[in-house]
Amino acid sequence: MVIAIGLVMGLAGFALDGVGEPVGAAIRRREPELRLEPAMNTGPGILLALLGGFRGPVADALWLRLYSSWERQDIAGTRALVRLVTSVDPRPAYFWINGARMLAYDVAAWRMAGGSASLREDARRQIRHEQAGEALAYLDAARPIHDDSAAVWMERANIALNQLRDFEAAAHHYRRAWEAPGGPYHAARLHARALRLAGRPREALAWLVQLHPGLPCDDDAAAAAAVLDRIRELESELGVPAAEAYRPQEQ
Amino acid sequence: MAVLQRIGILAHNTLRAAARQRLFHLIILLAFALVLGARWFREFNFGAPELKFLADCGLGAMGFFGAALAITATGQLFFHELETRTAQTILAKPVRRSEFILGKLLGVGGLLLGFCVALALLLIAVLWSRESELMQQLPEAFENGRQVNYAGVLLAGALQWLKLIVLASLTLLVASFAQSQLFSVLAGFAILAIGHLQHLAHDAYRRSASAAVRLLGGAVVSAFPRFDIFGVADGLDAGLPAGSDIARVVAYGLGYAGIACALAIFSFGRREI
Amino acid sequence: MALNPSARAPDRCAVEMRGIVKDFFVGLRGSRVRALDHLDLRVAAGQIFGLLGPNGSGKSTAIRVLLGLIQPTRGEARLFGLPGTDIHARRAVGYLPESPRFHEYLSGRELVRFHGRLCGLQRASLHARVEAVLAWVGLGEAADRRVEAYSRGMLQRLGLAQALVHDPMLLVLDEPTAGVDPAGAADMMALIRRLKAEGRTILLTSHLLGQVEEICDRVGILDRGRLLLEGSLQELVGDADHRWLNLGSLSAVELDELHSWLVARGHPAATLSAGPARLDRIYLNRVAGNPP
Repeated sequence: MVIAIGLVMGLAGFALDGVGEPVGAAIRRREPELRLEPAMNTGPGILLALLGGFRGPVADALWLRLYSSWERQDIAGTRALVRLVTSVDPRPAYFWINGARMLAYDVAAWRMAGGSASLREDARRQIRHEQAGEALAYLDAARPIHDDSAAVWMERANIALNQLRDFEAAAHHYRRAWEAPGGPYHAARLHARALRLAGRPREALAWLVQLHPGLPCDDDAAAAAAVLDRIRELESELGVPAAEAYRPQEQ
Repeated sequence: MAVLQRIGILAHNTLRAAARQRLFHLIILLAFALVLGARWFREFNFGAPELKFLADCGLGAMGFFGAALAITATGQLFFHELETRTAQTILAKPVRRSEFILGKLLGVGGLLLGFCVALALLLIAVLWSRESELMQQLPEAFENGRQVNYAGVLLAGALQWLKLIVLASLTLLVASFAQSQLFSVLAGFAILAIGHLQHLAHDAYRRSASAAVRLLGGAVVSAFPRFDIFGVADGLDAGLPAGSDIARVVAYGLGYAGIACALAIFSFGRREI
Repeated sequence: MALNPSARAPDRCAVEMRGIVKDFFVGLRGSRVRALDHLDLRVAAGQIFGLLGPNGSGKSTAIRVLLGLIQPTRGEARLFGLPGTDIHARRAVGYLPESPRFHEYLSGRELVRFHGRLCGLQRASLHARVEAVLAWVGLGEAADRRVEAYSRGMLQRLGLAQALVHDPMLLVLDEPTAGVDPAGAADMMALIRRLKAEGRTILLTSHLLGQVEEICDRVGILDRGRLLLEGSLQELVGDADHRWLNLGSLSAVELDELHSWLVARGHPAATLSAGPARLDRIYLNRVAGNPP
């Protein structure tokens, strides 16, 4: 009888699969597959919890462990847990952003503090570059899920700008952040700044000129007046004739 | 009408029996403690994402302790009546075995409903209170108003309940032919784990080049429900899922529970009491 | 107080079991154990039928088959002409299982009420009926106590109350005095005698022959699933016109004189030692003579 029951369950479930599959497919598109391999070495509790479908809470618990490593300035532990958290649950952008910050800024600072007191500037720069590279590579792993996350693109841009001084890359990333759904206005302004720092003031001016008409006057975050000031600065810097200067539309 | 009345009487009695079980009190208390306790973990977290942590904890507690409750309550309440022979006394009355099974399932369903509603309301209260504090402390993070989708939390709770009903139905199906409570409970936990890994198995057999493997794999895999789809509303910031998706999940859950229940009735009808 | 004089059953067959075979399969190899072996049994309405047999003889199995709790391997069991699996048939039956246990968290009143509602008693009549049966079995004062606090004897009486709550025509009592102290057993027997006086049909199982002999109209002796003997007490025990002498007060000398007197008048020498064919003797002879 048990076999008969199993058979009927199988057939009925086969029919029901058509009902549930579109939802499952939608979830798979939204959420990455569960990866068990990284959790294999973390103890049976975590593995069992993952098998039980408690991905979010497991990642949260690992994040608490990561926080503890971070407080102790444990470089190896922080590095390992940053990756483990996002491999268990890569859905929250928060994990990626804060994990990248730890790798790019905190681990770099700990490495410098742990080295010789008279660490030369080129050695410091080397550490900053290494850590920024590690953080950016880490954020690259988020792209399959967070390719349209403005916050992740902003983080990428900030690391490129602050740690690598790679203005071209920063300009690109700020632009992606601005173009992402819900992209903040300051991403657009920072794109122009990065272009300027990269030695491309004309493109920065052109960008701001096409940006300004679309900025709402009644939204402080849009900072339309500040953008106009930047346009004037760039026009002045580039010696744009008054006749060719940007004229904002009356609103 | 008389049939529904008898089912209702048996369900009510099952619920009453459940309400007196110390093990169930413990499970429910642990779930509540976890949700309330999560509120005091906030020192370890940062700013607004703490709300995600609280919601994960609450829905995780509902899923984990709810599953433990669904499995143990179904196994224990069913076998207790068989072992004490109260089932004999009841079934010697004008009561059909199908009514007995449905009464048990509805009784456990009532217990799980109470659990999910209470935990969802507690979670909403905790989230609301913490979000209000964070709105004071970090106004820039909440410039667009509250971040938590409270209707989504309720919907996630409702879908968790439906998942637990499916789990209870399958545990009852195993109990209907199993010889021991322990076996039924272990089988229930195995079904829970398999159900959460079902999507992996689906992908594996679907990728097979052989039609026979796809058909056979499909039938074997489909004998167990996939529980991942009941988490369609779990993402705190993902917004409410589409109505058609919710309808599909509800149809899927009710379909599985219905089939498992019908088979449990079939199997229990042949059981020697 | 008569619980319900209208419960007197019409003159028809209350219980009919024909050719019942029940095999159980035990162990990993599924060895067959035959619990009932072509059992034929009829209990007419209004009768008190005692099913006797040693432990493991198949009495409880026969009752479970009759009530539809287990399926017979072969044969047919009917209650008032309907299969035992039919819930309409079970409306007319009250069942007291052997050593019953009930929902311990309920009070006696709640438990009887629960069973009454299961039997379809409506609210209007339920309360009065529950109170009546509780008073009838002598649990009126203990009705609000939790079942877990009941003694063994009280549990038996509570079991009888739940079996009677829907005023059934047939009562099936499985070892109604098993595990009960002598006082409790006497109380239970008194209740069964009152049910007999009301004219209810009762099928009871027991291995206490004295009790069966005291209250049953007909008796069946079951061993290893076979019905060895079945008949009225009169048929089994002897002619009602026989007279019995109690010789317990005679001395050994007087017994010898009586023996000589009987022999002198041509009565066989064994007349004094054979004794009457009482039920326990019949039972022991039959069970001992039943080949495995």
